[in-house]
Amino acid sequence: MLLNRETSGGRWRIRPDGPAKVSGGLAYLTDMTMSGMLHGFVLRSEHPHARIISINTDEAKQISGVHAVLTHLDIPGFNGFGIANPDQPVLCSDTVRYIGDAVACVAADSPEIARAALKAIKVQYEPLPVVDSPEAALKSGAPKLHPNGNVLHTTAYSKGDAEGSFAECASIVEETYDTPRQMHAYMETEGGLFLTDGEGRLTVYSPTQHGLKDRMQLALILDMPESDIHVLSSPIGGSFGGKDELNVQPYGALLAIQTGRPVKIHNSRWESVRAGLKKHPMRIAMKTGIDESGRLIAHQVSIIADTGAYSTLGAEVLNFATEHVIGPYRIDNVDVKGVSVFTNNGVSGEFRGFGGSQTIFAMEGQMDRLAAAVGMDPWELRRINLRMTGDPGPFGQAIAQTDGALQVWEAVRKHPLWTERRSTAPQAPWLKEAVGAAIAMHGAGLGYGMPDTAGGRLRLAADGKIEALFGYEEVGQGLIASLSQMLIERFGFAEEDLRIIIGDSDVVPDSGSTTASRATSMMWQTLQRLEAPFAAKLLRRASQLSGLREEELRLGEGGIWRQEGSERIARYEELARASAEELSCDTTFLYPATSMKRIGAHFIYTYSAAIARIELNTLTGRVKVLQQYHAVAAGPVANPQGYLGQIEGGSSMSVGFALTEDAMMEKGLYAARNLDTYLVPSIRDMSGGIEVEAIEELPEGDEYGPRGVGEIGSVIVAPAIAAAIREASGKWVAQLPVRPEELQQTPPFIAKAVNG
Amino acid sequence: MGEHAVENTEWPIVLHPELPSEAWSMKERYGSEAVYAAGATLLRTQWESGAAILPSYLIDLGSLPDIREIRVEDDWLVIGALASLSSILGNRSLIERHCPAVVTAIRNIAAPSIRNLATIGGNVLSGVGDSIPALLLYDAVLVWQDSQGEQEQELGDWLLRKSVHGAAGSRLLLRIRLPLLQSSPSNVGNDPNSSLRRFDRFHKVGRREAFTASLVTVAACGSFDHEGKLADVRIAAGGGQSVPSRLREAERKLTGKIIGESLLGELYDDIICYYEPQGDLFASAAYRKKTAANLIVAELWQQGSGAGRGDGDAVESGN
Repeated sequence: MLLNRETSGGRWRIRPDGPAKVSGGLAYLTDMTMSGMLHGFVLRSEHPHARIISINTDEAKQISGVHAVLTHLDIPGFNGFGIANPDQPVLCSDTVRYIGDAVACVAADSPEIARAALKAIKVQYEPLPVVDSPEAALKSGAPKLHPNGNVLHTTAYSKGDAEGSFAECASIVEETYDTPRQMHAYMETEGGLFLTDGEGRLTVYSPTQHGLKDRMQLALILDMPESDIHVLSSPIGGSFGGKDELNVQPYGALLAIQTGRPVKIHNSRWESVRAGLKKHPMRIAMKTGIDESGRLIAHQVSIIADTGAYSTLGAEVLNFATEHVIGPYRIDNVDVKGVSVFTNNGVSGEFRGFGGSQTIFAMEGQMDRLAAAVGMDPWELRRINLRMTGDPGPFGQAIAQTDGALQVWEAVRKHPLWTERRSTAPQAPWLKEAVGAAIAMHGAGLGYGMPDTAGGRLRLAADGKIEALFGYEEVGQGLIASLSQMLIERFGFAEEDLRIIIGDSDVVPDSGSTTASRATSMMWQTLQRLEAPFAAKLLRRASQLSGLREEELRLGEGGIWRQEGSERIARYEELARASAEELSCDTTFLYPATSMKRIGAHFIYTYSAAIARIELNTLTGRVKVLQQYHAVAAGPVANPQGYLGQIEGGSSMSVGFALTEDAMMEKGLYAARNLDTYLVPSIRDMSGGIEVEAIEELPEGDEYGPRGVGEIGSVIVAPAIAAAIREASGKWVAQLPVRPEELQQTPPFIAKAVNG
Repeated sequence: MGEHAVENTEWPIVLHPELPSEAWSMKERYGSEAVYAAGATLLRTQWESGAAILPSYLIDLGSLPDIREIRVEDDWLVIGALASLSSILGNRSLIERHCPAVVTAIRNIAAPSIRNLATIGGNVLSGVGDSIPALLLYDAVLVWQDSQGEQEQELGDWLLRKSVHGAAGSRLLLRIRLPLLQSSPSNVGNDPNSSLRRFDRFHKVGRREAFTASLVTVAACGSFDHEGKLADVRIAAGGGQSVPSRLREAERKLTGKIIGESLLGELYDDIICYYEPQGDLFASAAYRKKTAANLIVAELWQQGSGAGRGDGDAVESGN
């Protein structure tokens, strides 16, 4: 079904948090202030790599209006954080490893005084050689950034004999792909408000994708029991993975505890660029061979990821990349090796796509090159090799079976953009229009062996509201809207009956993280599990009240109704008032995982194929995306607006990845330090139409419901653009973002007159 | 915690002169400690990035009379230096009659909210603003306030001197004057029997489609006589941190000629030879050179082949 307002009919709802967001009325957590609050600032390293000789805060502490100046000596607990491996110091003691490393933090009466205090802190550094690329980091004799060296993580996957099988191949393509250091570029920069209650309890208002994980990390740093930390973490002004890890929370917490006053921290865009996570730049070398019929025979891959100064989820990103570099294709002989390498280039970490955008760009590039090498239709070459129903996942693991790959492949094959792709006539001799397509499968959930908890709670509140409690966060994706819609459609509640409770560590259950395209799936599965027991409890109580049999009753808008007719028996409020004990149900389960014991291997996949129509201006070498088509096989659409928003929004990140975005670094320093030089696509760059086809059909008996669509749109457009560029220019794109100078041509009508 | 008071020296003192002469005197008095501020959109980015430090005094030009007016005066179109970029777009019909490429240039600067604040004076005085190549086409004249009262100077002359001698000192830019097109001998309007066909074009190339600093800007205008010969051709190029300039060699070469492949080839070579853009990490000088040459040559080819015929408006190109 083409997904839009018209086809969605009554399911196209105004999202509950929409009006306040559109009008600017909504207060985000970083908008909060409090009387008597102090302003927190962080002193960050002057060098990408240096030894700290001394830190002197005496002068800063003497400044009137300064209430705290903290260094590593002031951390009561563990001086480190990192979701998977806490190797990033909260405050550095002896070494700084990137330009955003924190050395001290300050709380003062005003931002001006706090900044003056930062200037007054004297840090003596001994600059060390900057390790500015993974290749440099892997050289023998390179400075060692961590006790165990410069390798964070390695991966390997092999099957058959790739090296030996190239001899059997009719055609082999070798290419090395380079991808950029993309920035999340959320509108709301990191920040929050931190306060203590005088009895040792800390309250943290700060956006994060996993409030309970923040609480756990903060407890270790502050040496406090988790129960003494209250994390409020939604709503969030965008994250895309960038706020999954701790950012300013440790500093706000330490300063609030030290001063006993509320402390507000809110990063400037400059500080956000300097300190924040980025997507891993990857260099992916591939050698791929096919036989005479186009069947993939051998695929050899080497991935080098620049993970920057600290771990965060760098290892997990590499695991994901290792899986997705094989793609939705059957290949008998595979050999993948990956290495994630520490450098002094910022910190790379979790980013929408999680290693998918880099690897899918590379794999799809191979498919197009192979097709060209043997003169085959690139889409046909894909079909020959596509994983079909019944096939295992990329690692040979058991996966939840769907016809997704073929469904999305078929949708592209039939689409007019694709079938009529050779008929577009240019408007000027220097404009070239062309079409390209790509296909992908993208795993959701954290993968085998990872702590992938899910669950939630429904209850009838004392005031008669139906409360849904989940440990997920509203990052702008429309989680509140999707959850409301699922409750309304599944139970028959009215919007007004509902109260969604998220982002509050004191009351929400552990639902796991709001990452990895998992939240909507897990809310759906939670409601699936809670539907019968929760409805039964409500109906039983209504039956007791009314004397009618449960079978005669149903849940509906505003209360309990008779199955037949239109008589409401009891309002939810009456039901609540008549109940001595709370009516509630909860469930905890694990995100469905594969049986293969390979860390990170995925079980549930979303499939997508996309077409991009582009215009290349050969005078300037610039590429404009004119039109996109996305076919997405992700099961039932939980919320049409949310689904469409995810694909459209994801696609703009993919367009940026392909055409404009790169947080370039020179010797460990960012070259673009603000959004005036780091360029995300503007609305004019995204003005071409985006058609989204949602393929909802799932095999009979499928019990997993909606698959995640949070990431799939963001991994699929770049390879389609690259394919279209090749069609338009005859040139292969192996490095993103695309470099216009490589696509420039001298206009044909003067070529004769020009020398060279 | 501490005892030492920090004097808050971070914020400048804002002065509000009511006359240009008063503004000029303030700048004379405080010298490099004072900065004129109009929309302050560029200043703000410079302060944030550390490219400039916050001055001790900001001379707010917002209260000066007459300095934001757009009007026709004798044979001149006069644009007050404090006219916001959006107010210029608001007066589009008047300005398009006399300098169409300027409208196109301004429409492609920054974003709507910034164009509401940013002024034409600020864009010009940056020395690299995207309006400059367009203004150069029409022989814009700058009118300054200094100790002697009002002084006039050609924009091209100011750019040249600025690149040699540095910034303007205390002088305050009051207005930009452009000769009315009616007074130009080559204009269609004066002679209904003439077959002269005029073109006014501006192209900006940035790193995205909108709200981007330019990498390359080119502007061209001229006309064809009834034999298809080019007359009064003017070409200017700029972009990024490159100081915009007219490409006089190329203009001379084209004047009186009929556009053909070999002429365009020579033009291409001339631009490559004479246009000296500055490269940076985002785009090399070679790329900028080639882009400017491609755009100008393609524009003339299009005009010469008649593809632009009947289209009197300047067209924009975000690409």
